[in-house]
Amino acid sequence: MQPILSARHIRKAYGAFIALKDISFDIPRGERHALIGPNGAGKSTFIACIAGQLPGVEGEMIFKGENILALPPARLAKRGIGRTFQISRAFLHMSVLENMMAAYVIASGKWASLSGRVYAEKIDRAHAMLETVGLAERSRDTVADLSLGDRKRLEFGMALAADPDLLLLDEPTAGMSIKERHFLMEMVAERVDATGKTLIFVEHDIDVVMKIARRVTVMVRGAILAQGSPEDIKANDEVQAVYLGGGH
Amino acid sequence: MTAQDLKTLWARVARATVSWQFVVPALAAVLAINWMASTSTSTMMTEIMIMALFASSLNLLMSFGHMVSFGHAAYFGLGAYGFTLAVVRGGVPPELALAIGPLAAALGGLVFGALCVRLTQIYFAMLTLACAQITYTVLFQWYDFTGGDTGITGFMIPRFGLSEKGYATAVLAVVTLCLLALWGIVKSPLGLSIRAVGQDRYRAEALGLGARRVQLVAFVIAAFFAGVAGTLYSVLHGAAFPDYAGLGITLDGLIMVVIGGLNSFAGGIWGGIIYELLATFVSKVIHEWELVLGLILLAICLVAPAGFAGVSARLRAMLGGIR
Repeated sequence: MQPILSARHIRKAYGAFIALKDISFDIPRGERHALIGPNGAGKSTFIACIAGQLPGVEGEMIFKGENILALPPARLAKRGIGRTFQISRAFLHMSVLENMMAAYVIASGKWASLSGRVYAEKIDRAHAMLETVGLAERSRDTVADLSLGDRKRLEFGMALAADPDLLLLDEPTAGMSIKERHFLMEMVAERVDATGKTLIFVEHDIDVVMKIARRVTVMVRGAILAQGSPEDIKANDEVQAVYLGGGH
Repeated sequence: MTAQDLKTLWARVARATVSWQFVVPALAAVLAINWMASTSTSTMMTEIMIMALFASSLNLLMSFGHMVSFGHAAYFGLGAYGFTLAVVRGGVPPELALAIGPLAAALGGLVFGALCVRLTQIYFAMLTLACAQITYTVLFQWYDFTGGDTGITGFMIPRFGLSEKGYATAVLAVVTLCLLALWGIVKSPLGLSIRAVGQDRYRAEALGLGARRVQLVAFVIAAFFAGVAGTLYSVLHGAAFPDYAGLGITLDGLIMVVIGGLNSFAGGIWGGIIYELLATFVSKVIHEWELVLGLILLAICLVAPAGFAGVSARLRAMLGGIR
């Protein structure tokens, strides 16, 4: 299958510390791909490279045939890359509905409009997305009053507003209960499959990874240790020794 | 979109301090007081309205864009001098020059804003201060063009020859229209985008919004309305002085916004009113009235950080005024 994203010799250093060492791999369109590895492996750095958040990245990041490494986050969003953050970054002092409306207004490109008609055009979609992510009942609540799980769901819905081709989720279930983790990620998988999107997610919960990912990349100290299906990864002795603790 | 949806969307913007049931009688009361009171009271009311507009323009940046400007007086001054210099040096009829003042301020906002929005937080604030100090110094030192430290006076009959009451009424109309325009901007998709960038620029950028561009638009809008205030002030006194762009007026504006209430649209208006009333009446009783102002600021920062608008909202909630 044609890759939607190709990383070519990606290297990122913070001074003397090399966070990513010559990372190269392809992500086929429509894949649910997990990045796993111990803390400091470079997973979030790699996500930040794709999302255009880091300066001084070497190599090439080819997204839909274009090298996107020099592009700022706003342009990447317009080209079809949506993302959530490791620590939830929904607009904390807005209501849930305002957050979703902001996502749709920005996605429509009519952010400078002074007309209330833009709201009228988007409100139904915003409500529908809140329904999808299970937050319809909380639309009037302030984000600051939401639980971590609800904030993550809201952020996921906001990331979908622009109908991106590629979704980047950086530790989407961090800080959530086991039940919340599975609920969120099952919803994500269902939504991603239903709309034909590609998903790259960083995750520490191996159960979630095994359940949701179709392919897994294991990173250790800025390099790729192994790649394959969840079953392959589970059976990989090196991965077990380094990451899974050898007990599986 | 249902009325309830709208209420949800703007609940955080209005902070329950803008109520049309209150605004319309308030405007009627201002008009009534103006026509019944002395001419000095009318002049004081005119200054209050002008400063309320100035504070509201700064409030757009601070409360909604989360951009703290230490140089907002630059645009007040550019408005005043844009108007004055257009009349004095450009030979433009004063009535026409009324439009030039705010446009000069907006242009200044565009130039300085493009520079300032490149940085964030304290560095942004320092750049705004630097731009304002440059403006002040140019106005203060360029004797041949701006009149230097003595400013420009006597170029027109103050208030276009209108009586104090007549000019106060005209200013009330202009300021009301400007505040309605600002309120419309805050409620619009543009306002939502300004708030989005203000609350979390990284999230806004990840959604596809160019944060700097949005901040620059907010900066120019705020400069424009500060320029309107500066122009009205210049007409009131028939003069323009470098101090209009000085640090003193910037600090006045910052204090007004904090006293009135951050994160509330009405905060700028309340701040302008309260500050000017304090400056007028307390200074008659206590010579060092800034001491009283300092104590009030201390109390607000420690006890009521949402300012007068927040206290008012809390009181109304307690009295069952919010449904």
